[in-house]
Amino acid sequence: MTKQIKVTVTRYKPEENAQPYEQSFDVPYTDSTSILDALNYIKEEEDSSLSYRWSCRMAICGSCGYMVNNEPKLGCNTFVRDYAQAGEIKIAPLAHFATERDLMIDQDEFVSKLEAVKPYLITDAAANHKAEADAIQKETQEEVKQETFKQTPEQLSLYQQFSACINCGLCYAACPQFGLNPEFLGPGVLALAQRYNLDNRDTGQAERFPIMNTNNGVWSCTFVGYCSDVCPQNVDPAAAVNQGKVFAAENTIKQLFNRK
Amino acid sequence: MSYRAPLSRTWWLKNPAFKAYMLREATVLPLAFFLACLTFGVAALIKGEAAFAGWLTTMQNPLVILINLLALAASLYHAATFFVLFPRVMPLRVAGKQIPSNLIVLGQWLGVAGVFLFSAWLFAGVLV
Repeated sequence: MTKQIKVTVTRYKPEENAQPYEQSFDVPYTDSTSILDALNYIKEEEDSSLSYRWSCRMAICGSCGYMVNNEPKLGCNTFVRDYAQAGEIKIAPLAHFATERDLMIDQDEFVSKLEAVKPYLITDAAANHKAEADAIQKETQEEVKQETFKQTPEQLSLYQQFSACINCGLCYAACPQFGLNPEFLGPGVLALAQRYNLDNRDTGQAERFPIMNTNNGVWSCTFVGYCSDVCPQNVDPAAAVNQGKVFAAENTIKQLFNRK
Repeated sequence: MSYRAPLSRTWWLKNPAFKAYMLREATVLPLAFFLACLTFGVAALIKGEAAFAGWLTTMQNPLVILINLLALAASLYHAATFFVLFPRVMPLRVAGKQIPSNLIVLGQWLGVAGVFLFSAWLFAGVLV
């Protein structure tokens, strides 16, 4: 059975308007219509100029984050039927980010912060290899196989939850500290940094520490906790960031006593 | 060219999660009043008997009692929010297994009860 609902979308066309404005559409829906389906309907049937990001439709690519009635949501796993009582759906770009066009946020700032915390395994072995780049090229297949790392289920459980991040940015839209200070590294990036710090195969803590232990790093967080509420992957970034504070405090004290 | 909406002063009124956060942070206000009372009490004690008697009379003012009761309620609320966060920030492990969050929260409340009982024992007979 098809019903109708009013969908109001925030539009922003920088070449035409200095400010964003709202535009409303009547959108037909069934019980299985997602917010993303509603946007696709608008683009296909009402206004082809509507710009928004999406890809996988199954909550794993992290592309379709929007504000839906003022809450950060993934468009693909949020359903129109749940807003039938509200009578109207307001879709806006993710809060706190800069908007490029309509529902598309500027992802550059997030990506450059992500790169800054080195979200990959840093190992002593890899560093040694870098110094001996020529030797690596000559390595036989057997020698490469010797580089496997063993990890127990217990060691995995320390960071596994934090590794589920899909970089969707909902936690940033939920973070007033990021809204007040766009320089804040933010929940998602700090959670990923902590994910690698907790990995027993990683030895890059000292490289991440100077970036995390700053005013714009873990110490900008005041544990509002809403980032963890909106996370579609249950990463609990608030816990990760605050574990990072404990880690930063421990390291600062250790450095005080190790000073020569 | 991109557009970034400025965050208004009333940003925290627009979401129930932010209101809960501000309520948690605001619990410090009545607590500051309680600490001020306590500080003046110690100062009065140093000054002498008359000053301390005057402080005691002030403390019996219904408004002062009301604000201090509010401070107690606010502290307990803050403790409730803090205790839940603790196992997330410092997950404790025994023999490789994580202690269930409920147990850690329960342990903290038992600690509060312990402090309360100790204080009650310490001040028993002094206040009444």
